[in-house]
Amino acid sequence: MIKKFSYVLLIIVTAILLTACKENANAPVSSESTPSESTSNETETTTASNPDQLVIAIPADVTSLDPAITMDNTTWKIIYNAYERLVDYDGATTNIKPGVAERWEVSEDGKTWTFFLEEGHVFSDGTPVDAQAVKASFDRTLKIANGPAGVYSMVSEIRVDDPMTVTFVLSENFPPFLSTLAANYGNIVSPTVMEHEVNGDLGQAYLAENTLGSGPYKLTEWKKGDSLKLEVNEHAKVKPTLQSILFRIVGDPSVQRMQLEKGEIDIAEGIPVDQIDSIKGLENVELIQEPSLLVDYIYINTSKGNPALQDERIRQALNYAIDYESLVSAVQLGYATQMRGPIPDGIWGHDETVHQYNYDVEKAKALLAEAGAENLTLDLLYSDNKTWWETEALAIQSNLADIGVTVNLNKVAYATSREMMDKGEFDLALGVWSPDFGDPFAFMNYWFDSANHGLAGNRAFYTNREVDQLLKEAATNNDQSARQEIYKQIQDIVMEEAPYILLYQKDYILPMSKDVKGFIYNPMLEGIYFLNEMSK
Amino acid sequence: MIKMIVKRLGLLIFVVFGVTLVTFFMSHVIPGDPASMIAGQRASEETLQSIRQQLGLDKPVWIQYFHYIGDLLTGDLGTSIRTQRPVLDELITFFPATLELAIAAFAIAIVLGIPLGVLAALKKNTFWDNLSRVFSISGVSIPVFFSGLIVILIFYGNLGWFPSNGRISLDINPPTHITGFYILDSIFTGDMVALKSSLEHIFLPALVLSYAQLAVITRQVRASMLEVMSQEYIRTAVANGIKGRLLIISYALKNALIPTVTVIGVAFGSLLGGAVVTETIFGWPGMGKFVVDSISYLDFPAMMGFTIIISIGYVLINLIVDIIYGLLNPQMKQ
Repeated sequence: MIKKFSYVLLIIVTAILLTACKENANAPVSSESTPSESTSNETETTTASNPDQLVIAIPADVTSLDPAITMDNTTWKIIYNAYERLVDYDGATTNIKPGVAERWEVSEDGKTWTFFLEEGHVFSDGTPVDAQAVKASFDRTLKIANGPAGVYSMVSEIRVDDPMTVTFVLSENFPPFLSTLAANYGNIVSPTVMEHEVNGDLGQAYLAENTLGSGPYKLTEWKKGDSLKLEVNEHAKVKPTLQSILFRIVGDPSVQRMQLEKGEIDIAEGIPVDQIDSIKGLENVELIQEPSLLVDYIYINTSKGNPALQDERIRQALNYAIDYESLVSAVQLGYATQMRGPIPDGIWGHDETVHQYNYDVEKAKALLAEAGAENLTLDLLYSDNKTWWETEALAIQSNLADIGVTVNLNKVAYATSREMMDKGEFDLALGVWSPDFGDPFAFMNYWFDSANHGLAGNRAFYTNREVDQLLKEAATNNDQSARQEIYKQIQDIVMEEAPYILLYQKDYILPMSKDVKGFIYNPMLEGIYFLNEMSK
Repeated sequence: MIKMIVKRLGLLIFVVFGVTLVTFFMSHVIPGDPASMIAGQRASEETLQSIRQQLGLDKPVWIQYFHYIGDLLTGDLGTSIRTQRPVLDELITFFPATLELAIAAFAIAIVLGIPLGVLAALKKNTFWDNLSRVFSISGVSIPVFFSGLIVILIFYGNLGWFPSNGRISLDINPPTHITGFYILDSIFTGDMVALKSSLEHIFLPALVLSYAQLAVITRQVRASMLEVMSQEYIRTAVANGIKGRLLIISYALKNALIPTVTVIGVAFGSLLGGAVVTETIFGWPGMGKFVVDSISYLDFPAMMGFTIIISIGYVLINLIVDIIYGLLNPQMKQ
């Protein structure tokens, strides 16, 4: 036995000796190698203590980084700073400012948008950003025909007028068009991506793991499941202060909190509201709290669910039955505000005069009695997509019990819930919504247009021809004040007909080290950093 | 023995085939549409349709299955719907991390579990036996998400002895890829900086992950040691003047280990599958998190790839258990 063991030991030792001559990734830098090629591990530093590096803890790894594919918010925050767009959101506002395009013109009928590009923008591989590149990038997105292409379904042609002028021709007038160009789908990808094409994938496999844009940063390292690193794109026109950005994947909120306290990370993104109070006591940490545009609401299935829900009085009764104030404090610990109208505060079109349902049990009961509804039983569909939905569903169940409506909770996997919502297999369902662009269209037209039944946005399966007509008018008019007036009219109708129960507009909360300077919160780009404005 | 190994490996093909069949159809029966997960918050029917077409989800399930098996035979596990990377690449990235963690946990469980079990058996119904009992029962009953956090709070939060997250310090380059196991690779390349960091990083998660299995092994060893110690051949040996270490290790433990090996084999399988929670708490970049995300995304190719790997793993572990059985028990050799 011992003899056998010594043979094994001998083999292992020999193997070690034989392979020891293999390259050592952490050997001290030899004089021949350039400093950028290898890093020495001789000095260990706490990563966040480096003033040139920002360390952000994110709760989960990201998916494909391709701007033509991804619709994922966490992925967007990684790639936003690696690309540029024709236009950008201006600081903390929903206003649009020039990006790669220094100016633009729009035709009378709103169907032709011409962009005049600024000289000097260069992709991370040295290719200049010109009209041809812009066209190629958008053509690629449309051809890939994934989520981002859906946003540009009204684009019928992209034309290169001269090397620095590009024109978008739309099939119909779409006033929010400019706003969509400032979002992540508007990221301009270098045409050289086609050099990385395999099996006709238009470079999807390459861009899934790399960035190829003209933004101030580029992705230099992605340790799967562990971290992602952005470093300065030396070709970029904008020169940022921070030299590198490290996104660390830290799944556990308590661990994030400890790391923040110890100064190992600068920003902790994964801390839920119920742990926020423990952050408040930390000396080196500041808590960013801003109203977000993320709203949480209930879809009432007005046509495919329980037939009782087709009666507007019953829908109103449900709206009156919710104790909004207690809900916000129980579910979001007060870090939210009850909605007033479908357009949240922060987007033009939000109207303080629109009717807001208040908590009124007697009125709710009276409406139910008037509608002749007795022993009403409804299913409430929700999933594990949002951690707070469990508490919320229980609160709603108890609120509705007070007016004599029995609620059966139906919790399913997120993917299953998406399919059931699309098909309308529910009576009530919990949902969240955040706008893709800074325009009331992003709420009103998606939620209420009967052409959008199901996942496309009208998850209440609500149909009102008059509303459809008004929505169409609002969507094709270029005069903002006229549109605001139309949206006001629509809001009055839909609040009366109550296809949704509008719960609350959530706050955006972010614990951040006090050393971090220059953070700008833009509600349209929630969770996205303007890294070139930031420093430590 | 060789015949048995060959036969078992032959059976492996049928196991893998059966697993693909069951998993594929089960995962397609679950209501849910991967296209709707990719398309984003709001998705028009045209977008959904276009994505389904690209993924081949618009075809009947059995045709999809034949495509899958056809690709599988050429070694192609498909492309992950969620990450757009080949599933094989994903498994190569994540599997070694999980395996390394499971092996480390396994080593701790055996190295501590067997002596503890022997100790408990020899000191039956004494303070030591009770202590070992309390220790084991808490191992089985304390969930990992709790023990993990407590361990991090003490060793990272208060004492600062160990890191809280990841496989290796972020300032350190991982060792050159040979096996994908950081500890082995850094030994092979003589990279002591990486070795130190890898050991520091693996210690806490391995400890936490090993605890439940450690408890099971301890109890099993104790029980079979007690049984063996009461048998006649031991009494004869004692009567013949054999005592001390020789009696316990060569005479008693060797026989007591036979049932334990089975338990250990099963334990290793559950370590592999059960690393998910531990990986999340310790930010260990292994397969667990990847698989959970894939499941919630209905990422069929990734789920299939993972299931195939795990089932091959189980078959191999069972094979190894049987081989060790044979070595321990000459009767089994036939």
